[in-house]
Amino acid sequence: MNVLFGLVSAMLVGATPILLAAIGGTFTFYAGIFNIAMEGMMLVGAFCAVLGSFFLHSWVLGILCAIGGALIMAGIFVVFAVRLHTDEFLTGIALNLFAVGLTTFLLRDIFHVKGAFTDAGIRAIPAVRLPLIDGIRVLGRLLSGYNLIIYVAVLVTALSAFIIFRTRFGLRLRGAGYNAACLNSSGVQASTIRVWSLIVCAVCCGLAGAYLSLGSVRLFSENMSAGRGWISLAAVILVSGNPWGIGVISLLFGFFDGLTVFLQGGRIPTQFTAMIPYIATLVSLYLYSVRKRRRA
Amino acid sequence: MRKQALSGILGVLAAFAIGAFVLALQGFNPVATYGALLQYSLFSGSGFTATVTRAVPLVLTGLSASIAFASGPVNLGQPGQLVMGALGATLVGLFVHLPSAFLVPLCILASLLGGALWSGLAALLKRAFAMDEFIVTLMLNFIADYFTLWVITYPLFDPSAMSPMTRPISTAAWLPDLGGVNTTVLFMVLAAVVCWLVMSRGRSGYEWRMTGQNSLFARIGGCKVDRNYVRVMLVTGALAGLAGGLMIMGGPHRFVKGLGANYAWDGIMIAVVASNGISGTFFYGLLFSALQQGAIGMELVTAVPSEFIDVLQAVIVLVVVAGRVSLSIVFDRLATRRKLKESAG
Repeated sequence: MNVLFGLVSAMLVGATPILLAAIGGTFTFYAGIFNIAMEGMMLVGAFCAVLGSFFLHSWVLGILCAIGGALIMAGIFVVFAVRLHTDEFLTGIALNLFAVGLTTFLLRDIFHVKGAFTDAGIRAIPAVRLPLIDGIRVLGRLLSGYNLIIYVAVLVTALSAFIIFRTRFGLRLRGAGYNAACLNSSGVQASTIRVWSLIVCAVCCGLAGAYLSLGSVRLFSENMSAGRGWISLAAVILVSGNPWGIGVISLLFGFFDGLTVFLQGGRIPTQFTAMIPYIATLVSLYLYSVRKRRRA
Repeated sequence: MRKQALSGILGVLAAFAIGAFVLALQGFNPVATYGALLQYSLFSGSGFTATVTRAVPLVLTGLSASIAFASGPVNLGQPGQLVMGALGATLVGLFVHLPSAFLVPLCILASLLGGALWSGLAALLKRAFAMDEFIVTLMLNFIADYFTLWVITYPLFDPSAMSPMTRPISTAAWLPDLGGVNTTVLFMVLAAVVCWLVMSRGRSGYEWRMTGQNSLFARIGGCKVDRNYVRVMLVTGALAGLAGGLMIMGGPHRFVKGLGANYAWDGIMIAVVASNGISGTFFYGLLFSALQQGAIGMELVTAVPSEFIDVLQAVIVLVVVAGRVSLSIVFDRLATRRKLKESAG
């Protein structure tokens, strides 16, 4: 039973950053932007979270800084890809590398360390006990007591499904991706909608980054997003943007990620267990292509 | 071509100006910083040779990315292909005992095969299951990273070493220095010339570029698009693998942890700024190499962290690429105005 609880908790921990980044990515996906900058936004978010939490002594301000950092990245994306019409793919690649360079530079410049920064002064995001469910024996242990961001991620998923499919903004968002010319002719600028989608994406990626550096750990290390942005992109493409589908896929990745933690210390070398999330991505791509072929 | 060079030079200068602004903001002296940067990369004998040697993996992975992007396949697997190529060269260098004349070509071949194997895997998955090579190659990067780390941590671990690394490869496979410049540079120049010939003079290069611009047109024109796809993937993987092999043979002579570093990602950036041109890739490769080499001296002299160069590189990419688009609009407008005047007069 304890193993089950441990696995569920490890699964949620692994799933949360991917879920949040993928939800952000799905907004830009529907808006018709080929946005691969989630990785960079998440990384900058993670760094700014530590920055804010360390210097301002508050995890709330840490989260706000993370969102701010990711928003600056989104701003650069807007300037280059939306305003100057640079190729979105190239902008994304450059932004991701910019993020790696910038965070290592600032890590050195501000904290005077190489590799990783950790300090007792960094305030972590607290875990939350759900008021009613916490009392129930099994259910309470299964659902309560996780990090605040995990609950936020669940809320964000539900909210994004509602926004995308049930609101006027969602309709325009999908319109911008489906037929931008048509949206323009109806009096709504598609480029404005795209800018908003990038802002939403940045907020989500900022939260994901804050979770990475202030969630279960309290540190920032070089390139700590470790490909999660790319995996979240794969998740978005796999389910063609549906938020609930993204939730399921993220949980799946979280499960494999959790498995990685569980298999550590076993007989399998850690290098192989560390491959699992990436192999899982390949396997899910394979299953997706098989399903697609059967439909055709 | 001249427009490209002009927009490139303007873009790099603009990026340097932005960098100077950032430096000044941090309280550093931009002139002294850039002076040290140039001093240690171009205007000193040892700095210059080190710059040229460092350019090898940058240019080769850049060529790999350039050819791939220009021909259609979004091969982002250079980091993985590089370490797999390095592994190939290491394996041959460790376990095959032959005189230099045979061992060096064999090691080169092994590195080419190592890289091609890894990109070939992605090509196979694309052809057999229609899996997008863009995400597949990215995921294979991580897998190759962990796989090679495992190889140098367990089966090929050098027991006398403190951190994961293999034993040194046979000295017969070492590529020597000639007047401070490592012989790997010759291979880089050779590869660049061959790439240029294939892409701008050869028939297959023409077919590849056509496919990259419009695959439907290429297919109707009689190109075997699917076969070309596999070939491009294999060739670009082999180029990245060669970069890894040469790093082993010219550099530490053994596979050490973190060998690939950021070289391959820098190579991808180089291809992006060069807009997939072969000669552009070569020059930007040298530029990036000069920046990275100069960064070490810069840190010594001016206390600016060498990581500043990573930021500067990304700024160069963004500014040059965006500048190219905006400048071409300006050029087009100027040309239109001139033609209008001509027709009016």
